[in-house]
Amino acid sequence: MARQWIEGDETAKEFLTRVLTERPFVPLLPPLHRIPLRAGNVVEIVGPSPSSKTRILIQAAINCILPKEWKGVNYGGLERLVMFVDLDCRFDVLSLSRSLKKRIVRANGNGVGHKLNKVDDSPSGSKDAHAEYDKELFSVSMRRFLYIRCYDSFEFLATLKTLQLQLQKEKEAHGTGVYLLMIDSIGAFYWMDRASPSIPPGSTNRRSLSLQSVSDTVVQEIQKILVVHPMLVLTTKAASLQEKFTTRDVISHSNRNTGQLSVESILDSRTIRNSANVQLYREYMPSVWQSFVSHRVFVRPSDDTKYEKQPIYLAEWLLPSLNLSDKFTINDDGSYIVP
Amino acid sequence: MPLLSSLECDYPLINSDFRNFCASHAIISVEDFLLHDLYALLTSTEQHHNFKRLKEGITQVLTIINKKHQPWLDGQDLLDDALQNKHFLPTGCRSIDAFLHGGLREGYLTELVGTSSSGKTQICLQAASAVAKSWGKVVFLDSGNSFSPKRVAQIVNQTSDLSAYEVDEAFQQVMNNIVCLSVFDIFTLFEVIHQLKHNLRSQLDQHIRMLIIDSISSLITPILGGGGAHGHALMVSVGFLLKRLAHEHDISILVTNHMVAGERGTSKPALGESWRSIPHVRLLLSRDHIRNISCMSILRHPHMATGDRVEFELQ
Repeated sequence: MARQWIEGDETAKEFLTRVLTERPFVPLLPPLHRIPLRAGNVVEIVGPSPSSKTRILIQAAINCILPKEWKGVNYGGLERLVMFVDLDCRFDVLSLSRSLKKRIVRANGNGVGHKLNKVDDSPSGSKDAHAEYDKELFSVSMRRFLYIRCYDSFEFLATLKTLQLQLQKEKEAHGTGVYLLMIDSIGAFYWMDRASPSIPPGSTNRRSLSLQSVSDTVVQEIQKILVVHPMLVLTTKAASLQEKFTTRDVISHSNRNTGQLSVESILDSRTIRNSANVQLYREYMPSVWQSFVSHRVFVRPSDDTKYEKQPIYLAEWLLPSLNLSDKFTINDDGSYIVP
Repeated sequence: MPLLSSLECDYPLINSDFRNFCASHAIISVEDFLLHDLYALLTSTEQHHNFKRLKEGITQVLTIINKKHQPWLDGQDLLDDALQNKHFLPTGCRSIDAFLHGGLREGYLTELVGTSSSGKTQICLQAASAVAKSWGKVVFLDSGNSFSPKRVAQIVNQTSDLSAYEVDEAFQQVMNNIVCLSVFDIFTLFEVIHQLKHNLRSQLDQHIRMLIIDSISSLITPILGGGGAHGHALMVSVGFLLKRLAHEHDISILVTNHMVAGERGTSKPALGESWRSIPHVRLLLSRDHIRNISCMSILRHPHMATGDRVEFELQ
C-alpha cells in the first residue's frame, strides 16, 4: 500500500506527452505570439475602440478550427472547437469566412501535395479569385466555430450556467472538445450593470444583477468550467486611453521603442516610466475580474502610415510585463509583425 | 424577471417545498438563481429528507435557464443566415455604395458622424428614397423636423430618367413606403422601438427594410452627464435594442451623430467614448463647401481599414 503510494504514476516523459496532447500550446499569430499560451490561461486583449481586437480573436479562432493536416496539405491548426460568446453583438461572420478561405488557399499554395485545382491567388481580389478552395474543409472548419450572442448580463449568466452542458454536448457531437473560449467584449454591459442597484428593492439578503455580483458570478462560473474543460480563454475589453496619455504622449511613447527619441519624448517617457503604476488606459472592471486575468496585452492604433491602405497597431504586454512593443498589421490574410 | 412561484403551473417540480428550500438560500427569482453557486446549492440539499426532489427541482430550473439565452449556432449557420437574409441596401449614391462594397447592410447598425451641414440628413433622405423605391418599407424617426417630402421629391426626380407622369408615380410609391415619426426624447424612442418590435413579431407590419434615426445623438445627449450611470445605461440599452432589432428582423439601421466642440478648437462626435463600441460601422462625413465635394471616411468597420475614404458629390 505504502509502496504504491511512493511509486511514480508516470515518467516525466509520459507526463510531458500527456500534458502536451491534452493541453497543447495554441499556435497564435501576432500580437499573441510572444508568450506561449495554453489551456487554463485567461488572456485579456485591451485597447481603445477600434484597435483590431475582434480581428485578433478571429485569427486565433482560425488557427484552432483548422486541422493540422488535411489531404496531405499542412494547415498547422489544432482541429478543436472554438466557442465565441459575443457580448458586443456585432460579430461579422463574413470576416471569418473570408479569412478562413484565404488561409486555406494560402496553405495550398505553400503545401507539398497539390491536390486541388489551381488557385488564382491574385491579390486583386476579383470575384473568381478564390472560387477554388476546398469547400469540404471550409465547411467542417466553420462547423467547429460555435457562436452565441448575449444582449444583456442576464443572458450572459444564463449562457455560462448552462455552458458545461453545452460543452459536453458539442464534444460528443464533434468527437473533439472546445479548446478556445472567447468573450468579446467583457465590458459590454458595464453601464447597464452599473446602473442597477446592488440590492433589489424591498430585500436585504438578495443580490441583483449589479456590476459586482455579475463579475463575481462570471469569474466563479468560468473557473468552475475550466476545471472540467481545460480551455484557453481569450477576452477583449474596450477601454479609452487615459486623458493625460492622449495622442501626443502615445506618439512619444511609441517613439521610445523605435529609437527616434526627441528631447521632448525622452522627458515624456521618463515621466511615464517614473510613475509607479503606469496605466495606459482607464480601468473599469471590478478587481475580481482583473485578478482573474492571467495575461494582458494592450493594443492601440499607431499613427505609423508606412502602408497606405493598412493601419498599423501597437501591442504591448502588460501582464507579464515585457519591455517591448510590437508593431503589427492585420487583414484577412492574417496578422504580421511590421519591422 | 420571473419569480419561481410563477413557474409552478408550467413546471410542477417547482412546488412550494422546493420554493421554501430556495427561499432559505435567499433565492426567490430566476435571477437569484443565476447569481447563486449551484454546486453549493446541490450540496446543501443533502441535509433535507426529500433531497431527490430538490435536486430534480434544481435541474428543472437549469433547463428553464437554458431557454433564456440566445440559441447556439455554428459558423456555417451564421454564414447561411448572412448570405440569405442580410442584403446590402443602396444609399442612393453610387460612389458610396461602391465604396461600402454594396451599401448599408441589413443586420448592421451604421452610424453617420459629421458636423452640421456635412450632408448627414441628405444621405438619410437619399437612402430612404432609394430603399423605398425598390426594396420596401422604411421607418424614419425624425428628432429635428428634418424630414421633408419636398426634398424626397427632388431626390426622386434627380435619380430617375422617367417621364413626368412616371416620376409622379415613383414619388407616390416612395412616400407610401416611408413612415415618418417625430421623436423628441429618448423615452418616446424606447416606446417606438418596442412597438416596432412587437408589430414585427406579430407580423402586423410588412417587412421593414430600413430604420433611420436622424439624429440619435440629439435624443441621447440630454440624458448624459451629471456623473450618474443611468444616462449611459439608457444609451447602451438603446444600442443593444437596435442591434437586436437589426439582427432578428434583417433591418438595416442608420443613425446620425452630430459633432460638438472638443479641445483646442477641434470638434468631436456628440456621442463619445462609450458609444464608440456600439455601432457595426461608423462613417465620418465632411464637406468642402467651396468645391462642393463631400467626403466619407471609415472610423470603424468590421473589415474595411480605418481611414479609407471616398469623395463624392451630393445633390
